[in-house]
Amino acid sequence: MRRRKFLILGILPAIFLMTFLFVLPSLWGIYSSFTNMALLGKEAANFRFLGLENYIKLFKDSSFYTSFVNTIYFVVGSALIGQFLLGLIIALLIDYAEKKKIPGRGIVYGIVLLAWINPTLIAGFQWSAMYDYYYGTLNKFLNLLGIQKINWLGTMPMLSVIVANIWRGTAFTMLIWLSALKTVPLELYEASKIDGANAFNRFRYITVPILRDIITVNLIQITMATMGAFLLIWAITSGGPGLKTTTLSLFAYRTAFEAYRLGYGSAIAVIMLIINLVFGIIYIRLFRRR
Amino acid sequence: MKILVSIIFLFMIIFFGVPFLWLYFSAFDKEASAFIKFPNFTLSNFIEVFREYNFTRYLVNSSFVATITMILTVLIVAISSYSISRIKWKYKNAFLYSLLLLHSIPLSTTMVPIYGIMRILRLRNSYLGLILIYTAMQLPFLIWLMKGFFDTIPEELEEASWIDGCSFFKGLFKVILPVSLPGILVVSVLSFLGAWGESMLILILVDSEKMKTVPLIFYEAMRTVGGYMEVRYELVSSFAILFQIPVMILFILSRKLLAVSIIPGVER
Repeated sequence: MRRRKFLILGILPAIFLMTFLFVLPSLWGIYSSFTNMALLGKEAANFRFLGLENYIKLFKDSSFYTSFVNTIYFVVGSALIGQFLLGLIIALLIDYAEKKKIPGRGIVYGIVLLAWINPTLIAGFQWSAMYDYYYGTLNKFLNLLGIQKINWLGTMPMLSVIVANIWRGTAFTMLIWLSALKTVPLELYEASKIDGANAFNRFRYITVPILRDIITVNLIQITMATMGAFLLIWAITSGGPGLKTTTLSLFAYRTAFEAYRLGYGSAIAVIMLIINLVFGIIYIRLFRRR
Repeated sequence: MKILVSIIFLFMIIFFGVPFLWLYFSAFDKEASAFIKFPNFTLSNFIEVFREYNFTRYLVNSSFVATITMILTVLIVAISSYSISRIKWKYKNAFLYSLLLLHSIPLSTTMVPIYGIMRILRLRNSYLGLILIYTAMQLPFLIWLMKGFFDTIPEELEEASWIDGCSFFKGLFKVILPVSLPGILVVSVLSFLGAWGESMLILILVDSEKMKTVPLIFYEAMRTVGGYMEVRYELVSSFAILFQIPVMILFILSRKLLAVSIIPGVER
């Protein structure tokens, strides 16, 4: 019984710290979202409760809708299509190359992983150099091919940050697929080969059904991580030009720390928290089923 | 087919490799630009970073915060995940899944409220504040990871030591600690890297000159060195490399250990 007491005591520090990180901020966020709390300006000296005013304003705010739609573009483009497909393709190719002993697979694996462990801020710096209009590596390459310069961050900023984020985050999906592919029993492939199934059908009718749950969990993981992406976009475009690459997390940041409106920023954070909790609960449910 | 795969590999290596090659070339170049070119080799950028930009100070700050965070995290993770692994408790599963839920919520979601709380508690611009928040933000995933590790160690192991007359703690220390060292190593590396590389909360939690860390000074260099229009790429790249080195070294050293543990939910 003395032992049980130690075990309960042992969990307490963890609970305390997580309260400090998640529970307290969430409560403070909800509280301040009902106020006009500000860091600077005349509102700062004039603190008062607004009730639901922030939320009403938020739902009428066209910037909010723009950032919301941008978030969807960013998630669909860079996670659900880009990272997922590219990660899958690289994993399948590496898996195939291992069987056929094709050289270069180790380098591909290593370099994809390198882009992932590389601090995100550095990735942002690297890609802003790639995209630079006058001297950027990308435009110089196009020049060599005889193609006219493109103002990447001016004319297609969303696509540019999406590509940078695919570069940065593909490794996660690749790793999941690589270890998942190893769990599919080889005998099934052999049997289907004898039955005359081609590679695509083998993938479609054997690999996918077996790995379906892993795929869904992976999709939700990258969706949530990408919804919360901040640093990469912030480093490359700071959300601009205009609001063209401002996703919800950048919108919250700009509201709170550039316009100094903490209360309004908190209201955005609360909405984001609700969206994340919904996704998170779906994620946990799927995770438990496995 | 083999040739096709090789060609795709080549494209992948170019796509993923060029940004890195550019970074490393630039840092050792006398005068780099946004275009990748072979460097006119020099180490003067690194010397300038240390001489002109007071880099040692930021290096000390970052190392200090990351090391203390690592120690605190390892202690808390070891104790609490062992407790969770062994305790019989009605809400154990609920607790574990709420950890996973917390882990899945990106930090940028709660960034504004975290700023608010830290300001009220006067924990901005303080080592204590950074260490507490960096420890707390890593706990959910690391506890989840380490709890799975302790589950694989049979309970009979420590019970045998208690029967042999060891006290509760002595039994844990002599029997459980040695077998859990690989797990503790993973937790140490991940928590150090987590604290070292964190570059988002630092933007809002620190603005005093003497508290700045490596990621923050890299961020400022990226924004300001040489004015907005003409970035001094060679200098910012050197900042980037100094920021990146510990990540690369630790990652390469512990690659094998990390690869198996980094992905939650995939069987080992």
